[in-house]
Amino acid sequence: MRPNEGKTLAPSQIALYAILAAGGLVMLAPFFTILVVSLWPNQAFLARRFPLEQITLNNYLETFRVIPFGRYILNSAIVTVAVTVLQILISSLAAFAFARLRFRGREGLFLLYLATLMIPSQVTLIPNFLIIKNLGWYDTYLALIVPGLFSALSTFLLRQYYRTIPLDLDEAARMDGAGSLRIWLQVIVPLSGPVMAALAVFTFQATWNDFLWPLVVTGSQHMRTVPIGLSYFVGQYSTAWNLLMAGSMISVLPVLLIYFLAQKTFVQGITLTGLGGR
Amino acid sequence: MSHPSATTAVRRNPFRWRPDQQWEAYLFVLPSLLGFLVFVFLAVGASFGISFLDWGLTGPRGVAGLSNYRELLRDPVFWRVFRNTAFYIFTIVPTQLLLGLLIAVALNQALRGQELLRIIYFLPVVTTIVAGAIVFRLLLSRTGPLADLVSNLGELAGLPLRMPDLLGSTQYSKWSVVLLTLWKNTGFTMVIYLAALQGVPKELYDAAHVDGAGAWQRFRNITVPLISPTTFFLFILQTIGAFQLFAEPFVLTRGGPAQSSMTVVHYIYDNAFRFTRMGKASAIAWFLFLFIFGFTVMQNIMQRRWVHYETE
Amino acid sequence: MPRKLWSVLSVVMVLALALGACAPVPPAPAQPPAEAPAAKPAVTLRWAFWGSPEEAVSHKLVADAFMKLHPEIKIETWNEPWDNYFTKIQALWASGDPAAVPDIAFLWPTPKYAAEGVLENLDPYIQKSGYNLNDYWGGLLESAKYQGSVYGLPRDIEVNVLYCNKDLFDKAGVPYPDESWTWDDLLAAAEKLTVKDAGGKVVQYALAMEGGKYSKWVNQNGGAILDDYVNPSKCMLAEPKSIEAVQFFADMMNKGYAMRDADLSQAGGDAAVFLSGQAAMIIQNTSRVSTFNAAKMNYDVAVVPIPKGGKRWNPAGGAAWVMSAKSANKDAAWTFLQWLQSADGGQKLYTERGEIFPALQSAANSPAFLTDQPPANKQGIIAEAAASGVGGFGYFPEWDELDSSVIGPALQRIWAGEADPAQLLPEMCKQADQFLKDKGYPKP
Repeated sequence: MRPNEGKTLAPSQIALYAILAAGGLVMLAPFFTILVVSLWPNQAFLARRFPLEQITLNNYLETFRVIPFGRYILNSAIVTVAVTVLQILISSLAAFAFARLRFRGREGLFLLYLATLMIPSQVTLIPNFLIIKNLGWYDTYLALIVPGLFSALSTFLLRQYYRTIPLDLDEAARMDGAGSLRIWLQVIVPLSGPVMAALAVFTFQATWNDFLWPLVVTGSQHMRTVPIGLSYFVGQYSTAWNLLMAGSMISVLPVLLIYFLAQKTFVQGITLTGLGGR
Repeated sequence: MSHPSATTAVRRNPFRWRPDQQWEAYLFVLPSLLGFLVFVFLAVGASFGISFLDWGLTGPRGVAGLSNYRELLRDPVFWRVFRNTAFYIFTIVPTQLLLGLLIAVALNQALRGQELLRIIYFLPVVTTIVAGAIVFRLLLSRTGPLADLVSNLGELAGLPLRMPDLLGSTQYSKWSVVLLTLWKNTGFTMVIYLAALQGVPKELYDAAHVDGAGAWQRFRNITVPLISPTTFFLFILQTIGAFQLFAEPFVLTRGGPAQSSMTVVHYIYDNAFRFTRMGKASAIAWFLFLFIFGFTVMQNIMQRRWVHYETE
Repeated sequence: MPRKLWSVLSVVMVLALALGACAPVPPAPAQPPAEAPAAKPAVTLRWAFWGSPEEAVSHKLVADAFMKLHPEIKIETWNEPWDNYFTKIQALWASGDPAAVPDIAFLWPTPKYAAEGVLENLDPYIQKSGYNLNDYWGGLLESAKYQGSVYGLPRDIEVNVLYCNKDLFDKAGVPYPDESWTWDDLLAAAEKLTVKDAGGKVVQYALAMEGGKYSKWVNQNGGAILDDYVNPSKCMLAEPKSIEAVQFFADMMNKGYAMRDADLSQAGGDAAVFLSGQAAMIIQNTSRVSTFNAAKMNYDVAVVPIPKGGKRWNPAGGAAWVMSAKSANKDAAWTFLQWLQSADGGQKLYTERGEIFPALQSAANSPAFLTDQPPANKQGIIAEAAASGVGGFGYFPEWDELDSSVIGPALQRIWAGEADPAQLLPEMCKQADQFLKDKGYPKP
């Protein structure tokens, strides 16, 4: 889809740029507002006036002073990295089975997986909480990490993607004597770079921003995560907007970093002819 | 080995059903399945049971039988939020799919500033919903910048244009939620489609280009079929997501005014945590489930018509 | 590709670890920090409250003061942000684990939780220690009672007064309100204080009040929401006096004198509009005082004007301290609770810090409250508090559901200007009556 490889811009390209830029502004405007509020004292937001001489980085420092934000970031980091890596691993194995291997009850089980996506978490929150409590995991990393390792969504996405990978490669590997595990490791996984990267981004993001579950399964300050920390700034009668926005900006950075790196895999043309046989 | 053209028919799986494959399969699925059993199926099953009980704060207060379900069928609030949710599904899902795909296709080309644009379009997804909603309230306000823009544009065109009260009227409040949700989640669709587009072999486009196919034809005959498994995935997922919409309306309008923008899951949340009626909340969840499940099964069957897999 | 991602993820982890190491981490909060009291505490009480980190500081000071007086009792505090407090504490109650549930907690509304059986009936303790219930403002204890017994002791009372921006009043040439003002006086002032631009858009509102506080107008005018607030049988909002009151406020919004709810929340709430001068008056409780003082606003408060022939009235309600029914240290908890809610104990400390308007009359009439910090008209606040009574909301467990499903939505349509009170309120009352019947009210 590259009609014009030359240096000059076709009118269609200019139009494209214009539309993309306009859309980009729409996407960016709210984010920009958050940035602005985070750089001024709270009074500025309340009065809706932002005099230039009041710009300050103080809010960013305050968030670390007012709550143990550093600790929250550490917890969030540990939990999110563990969940992202392990969840993709587990889902990938299961997706391989659903996509490539035949076994009794395969379609039914998969449908059951899908069905679990259709029950909102509000009604499974308390039952899951009771399970965690009975396991003795309340207020531990186990409670934050383990339940997050099993995702129907990841399994679903990976299965869909695996089904687009041609069987010729599997056949070739089997003829070389490879077992299913080697096929998974050496054929499927390398080819699913972009999807795994996308999944890594979303799992990271969802876990990082998860709020209700960590709230319910942790009790002490040294186990809490970033979203809970941010909610401290929302009070019954008043909100510390400046700190909330500053905290939100800090919270966004790790996820953006992961996305930035994952994006490197979204380069069209890497997969195919170079690897041969496709 | 040449790659089969994208338009050939689906190939049947050459592997016969081998007994040892069963064992392998179960081993592959085992870690996932174990976890699901303990942390997902158990709780989901519990919530099903709870829907037949009168469940208060500390546990069951008695058996309710079908009365939770009967009550919700007669409940005017439930049907109000159900209609709202249906509105959201029909407006958000198709728009989000289309927009996400178009943006992904546009940003998949070798444009200058491509990486930056991809980040910008993804930013809303990572922004915390609270911050985003607050900003949207500012922007969509009757006295806010968007309203000014609309009336200024109207002046230019000579028409007395006025932006409808998106946050304060029961008629238009849902649109503010639609806008916020589209803004926040289109980046998700975009990224998934971007990943899927990587799997479309470049040679196909080049071959088609040589054959004289235009951009639109290439899009329709190559891109769309080859990413149809992803479209299927996104379609199912976004519909489930729209059925379960909660955070955006909750933070933006609190479901108001007068419950005009409230969703079913918001009502479930209220029943579970504000009115401490977990039984009724579970009943609503499972009633909703029937619709979502029915929809998914239907799509699963219909996918043979339009979803193209390389394998069977 | 995934490899690179994983190495990045590990870099992130290292960075986070470094951050975590540098950031000030509170010392092992799970265990209470080891002090060195003279006598080793025999009992540890868990004390739960909501609030921002600044509010938590006040509570900690109160806890320290108590522990000095009672070295044999140790107070461990448990703080959640307000938004999440109820979800969290309900999850703990659901687990049924007595060790997890706090002994004393902040709670609102009390009857709902008392009905679930998780709160301790305080009557026997009150009788045994001769605790004086008469010092509470009128009607306030009703909000913490269930089936006639006291289940909680309210810490503060919500007193809604009229805040006036004196600069804007001076500019418009309007005299400051006093106790003689009626609704007519308020309307006359509102007309002068509303400023519209050339296009007819309001740039300065006279009044901003959340629609949810409508009960003030209704009760001032002699109307009511329900016939009985503990055991209701009938919705009273369709009575002529109630409709008249609702119409009064709706008219103010329709004429542009008062901000509509949606505009108010978009503008950031009443504190924000008062600070920015978008509204010359707001009706709100005393929690806003510290914000306005910090901004050095030129303001004062006044009693809210009443209709001719009406009466002064304030809804009697406030969050209460409750005791868990599963507490293992009930007597120690009562000792703490009693001190918390005594005029020289907790009440005095909270009032001195300017955080609350106290639930005990003696604390309000003491120097702790009557400081020379603004607002000047503290007697006005006391006058409104003295007019407190039942009538702002139901005191039965299902009130929340009735309010959010039936009454609230109907009123929201009226405040949005989409419905006429005289037509909508009778319809709404029919639905409310049906709701009460379905839930078995009135109970014999």
